[in-house]
Amino acid sequence: MSTVENPLLEGLKLRRTPDSCALVVFGASGDLTARKIFPALYSLALRYLLPEHFGVVGVARTEQTTRQWAAAMRSAVQEHARDEFDDSVWEALASGLRYVATDFADDKGQDAVVAELSELDEKRGTDGNRVYYLAVPPAAFETIVDELGKRRDRSRGWTRLIVEKPFGRDRASADALNATLLRSFSEDEVFRIDHYLGKETVQNMLALRFANGIFEPVWNRQFIDHIQITVAESIGVGSRAGFYESAGAIRDIFQNHLLQLVALTAMEPPIDFTADAVRNEKVKVLRSLHTPGPKSFVRGQYGRGLIEGEEVAGYREEEDVDSDSMTETFVAAKLYVDNWRWADTPFYVRAGKRLARRETTIAIQFQRAPHPPFAEIAGDGLRPNVLLIHVQPDEGVSLAIGAKVPGQGMSIRTVHMDFLYGGAFRTGLPEAYERLILDAMLGDATLFTRADEVDEQWALVDTVVAAWRRDRPVFPNYEAGTWGPRSADELIQRDGRSWRRP
Amino acid sequence: MAQTLTNTTLAAVERALIEEREEGAQRTSVMTHVVWAPPAWLKAAERTLAGLSERHPSRTVLLTPAPRRKPGIDAVVDVREFAVQGSSRCIASEVVELTLKGARAKAPASIVLPLLISDLPVFCRWRGEPGWDSPELEQLVAVVDRLVVDSSEWEGLPASYERLMQLFGRVAVSDIAWTRTEAWRIRIAALWPGIRRAKKVEVTGPQPDALLLAGWLRSRLRRQVELEHKTGRTVRRIVVDETEVEAPPGPAPTPSDLLSQQLDVFGRDPTYEAAVQAAR
Repeated sequence: MSTVENPLLEGLKLRRTPDSCALVVFGASGDLTARKIFPALYSLALRYLLPEHFGVVGVARTEQTTRQWAAAMRSAVQEHARDEFDDSVWEALASGLRYVATDFADDKGQDAVVAELSELDEKRGTDGNRVYYLAVPPAAFETIVDELGKRRDRSRGWTRLIVEKPFGRDRASADALNATLLRSFSEDEVFRIDHYLGKETVQNMLALRFANGIFEPVWNRQFIDHIQITVAESIGVGSRAGFYESAGAIRDIFQNHLLQLVALTAMEPPIDFTADAVRNEKVKVLRSLHTPGPKSFVRGQYGRGLIEGEEVAGYREEEDVDSDSMTETFVAAKLYVDNWRWADTPFYVRAGKRLARRETTIAIQFQRAPHPPFAEIAGDGLRPNVLLIHVQPDEGVSLAIGAKVPGQGMSIRTVHMDFLYGGAFRTGLPEAYERLILDAMLGDATLFTRADEVDEQWALVDTVVAAWRRDRPVFPNYEAGTWGPRSADELIQRDGRSWRRP
Repeated sequence: MAQTLTNTTLAAVERALIEEREEGAQRTSVMTHVVWAPPAWLKAAERTLAGLSERHPSRTVLLTPAPRRKPGIDAVVDVREFAVQGSSRCIASEVVELTLKGARAKAPASIVLPLLISDLPVFCRWRGEPGWDSPELEQLVAVVDRLVVDSSEWEGLPASYERLMQLFGRVAVSDIAWTRTEAWRIRIAALWPGIRRAKKVEVTGPQPDALLLAGWLRSRLRRQVELEHKTGRTVRRIVVDETEVEAPPGPAPTPSDLLSQQLDVFGRDPTYEAAVQAAR
C-alpha cells in the first residue's frame, strides 16, 4: 500500500517481508538443504524477515519422520548458520516443518505433499502461496515439475519455482528444460539460481559503477586496456566427482558464474533496478560476446601438487574420477564484447580448481598514462592503474595508483588504496542464499537468471566444447597449487600482457 | 595501548593518532562521530559506545566539559582494532576522549573542527538535555550534519520540544525516543484504514514515546487525537480508540542498536519534525 493511500507509512522503514507462504524443498535430505537452505532460513527467521505465517515441507526419498528430519536440520543450522543458535528462533521455525518421504514420481507421495500443504494453509495460514525449491539433480527436474503441474491449484495464491544450477548441460538440454518448466509455470514464476548474483560484493559492482560519477566516464575502451576476471578455487573436486566428471570447469563455473561476472562488468546502465531492466542489459552483453577462435580458449587438468604445504592428489586420482579422465578442471579464455563501449578490449577470464589460492576478482586494468615524465626513474615500480573488485575473500575494492617514494629525487611506486567491505559496513554480510530465497518469496527476480541469458551462455559454451572435441590435450597439464597450465600464460602473453598475480 | 595526554594540544593528539595507527591495521572510516557527554552522562555514553565503533568504523571524539577546572585539554587517544569477518585483516577505529577544562568547555567547535575527517559526515550525539541557549550547542550545531538526541533524557517535556523545533532548519535532528517507537508505528500503520478517524490513543510507556506517538498520529491523520498516558519504562501497550495494537515481535533494541540506526540516517526527517510539532 502506498503512502498516498496510507499516510502512516510515510517515513517508515518497512522491512521487505513476503506474503504468507509455504516453502516446499525437494531434495530435503541433501547437502544443499543442510548446508545452505536451512542456515539461510534460520538467519532470515532470526531477523524477522520470514512471513509471519510460514511453513516448510521437505520432500526426499530418505525414509524418516518429520521429527527426525527437523532434528537433522537443527544440527545443520547449528553447524552451518552464520548466527549464533537461539532455541526460541529455531522452535518457531521448526513448528512449521513437515516431511514427506517419497519418490518424486510416486503419485501417493505427491498427494501426501499436497495434503501437508493444505494442512499448513489451514493451521498456519499460508494462504495457498507456494515456493517450490528444486534442490535435486537435474535428472529429477522434469518428473517433479510435471507432478507439480498436474496438482497445481491456480484458483488460489501465487506459485514460484526455484531451480538450482546446473541448468542443462548444453543449449539443447537447457531449451528442453525450459520447455518442461514453461509447460507448468510462466517465466516470471521461474527463479534460476546463480548464487554468485546473491553475493553482496557482486551487487556492489552495480553500486560501484552506477552510484559513482567517477567510474562510468572511464568505463570503456578509451580508458581501459583490458579486464581480467579470476574465479580460483584451491579445493579439489571433493565429493562432487560424479557431477564434475560430466560437467568440467566450463559447465560448472564458466557457463554461469564467470559469464555473469562478465555481463555485470560490461553491461550498460539499466534504467532502474527492476528485474527486467537489469536482465535486459545483461543479455545484450551475452549476445555481444565472441571469442576470436579456438586458440582463445585453453583448458587444463590438475595433477599432483602442493596446497598450503600439503601434497594433494591429481584430479585423476580423486575418488570416483576416471583414471583417464579428460575432464577439464581449468579454463581460461579471451573474450570480446562487440559493442561501442568495448570493441577491441579483451576480457581475459580464468577459472579452475586446485589453484594457488581461493580468490574471485575482477581487475579493470586502465591504460598507461600517455606520457609519464617519470618513466625512466620509475622503472618497474610504476604500473598502470588497476581497479580491483574482490568478490571473495577479503570482499572490497582496491585501486592501484602510482605514488612518489618519500625522499630525494622522483621515484614512483605503485600502492593500493583499499576499501574493505566488511571494514566499512560491520553488519555482517548476509549469505547469498538468504538474499535469494527472500527475493524469490517476494517475487523479485532481479538476481536470478532469465531463460534468454541461460540460452546465450550455453550458445557460447557449445561453440567452445564443439571445438574442443577436435583435439585431445595431454592431461594433467598443471600442478595443483599453481595458477594453471602454461597455455593459459601463453594465451595472454601473445597479446603482450600477463595475468595479474592475485 | 591508549595514550593519555595531560594539558595537551590538538597537534599532540594528532601525532598520537598517527603513532597509534602505525600498529598496522587498516583505517576505515564512514564518519566522524562527536559525542557531547557532560560528566553525569559519561559512563552511559561509554557504555553505548562500547561495541558501536565496531559497527560504525569512525573517528569518535568524546567531549566532556569540565568548566570549573583550570583551562586546558586532557586527552586519551586510542586506536581500536577489529577483525574483519571472513578475513585475516583488521580495521581500526579511532577514539579520542577529550576533557575540555575551563574556558575550553565553551569553545567545543574550535576543538572539534581540526579533528574532523574531511568529506565524511559528522554526527553529534548529545547526551542529556542541551542547554538550549548555550554557546556549546550553538557552535556544535553549526559544525555537524546531524544532531542525535534522546528526548527521554530530558526533564522539560513537552516544552523542550518547542526549543528543539528551533534547530530543525539548521541541522538534521534524530531522536532516539522516536526511533524506539518505530516498531510500534509499523504496527499502528497496519491498522489503516480502520484508524483513519482515530480520536484517542492510549500509551503505556515513557512520556516522550507517548508524546511523539500522539504527535505522529495527529500530524499524519491531520486531526486531533487525544493522548492518555500511563507511565512505564518501555512501551508495553498501545490502544487506538478501542483497538489494541499488537506488540511488535522480537526483543527491544539496545541503546547501542538505537544509536547505530541513527548513524545510518542522512538528511532531515520531516515525519519526525511534524510529530514533534504536534506533540506539544
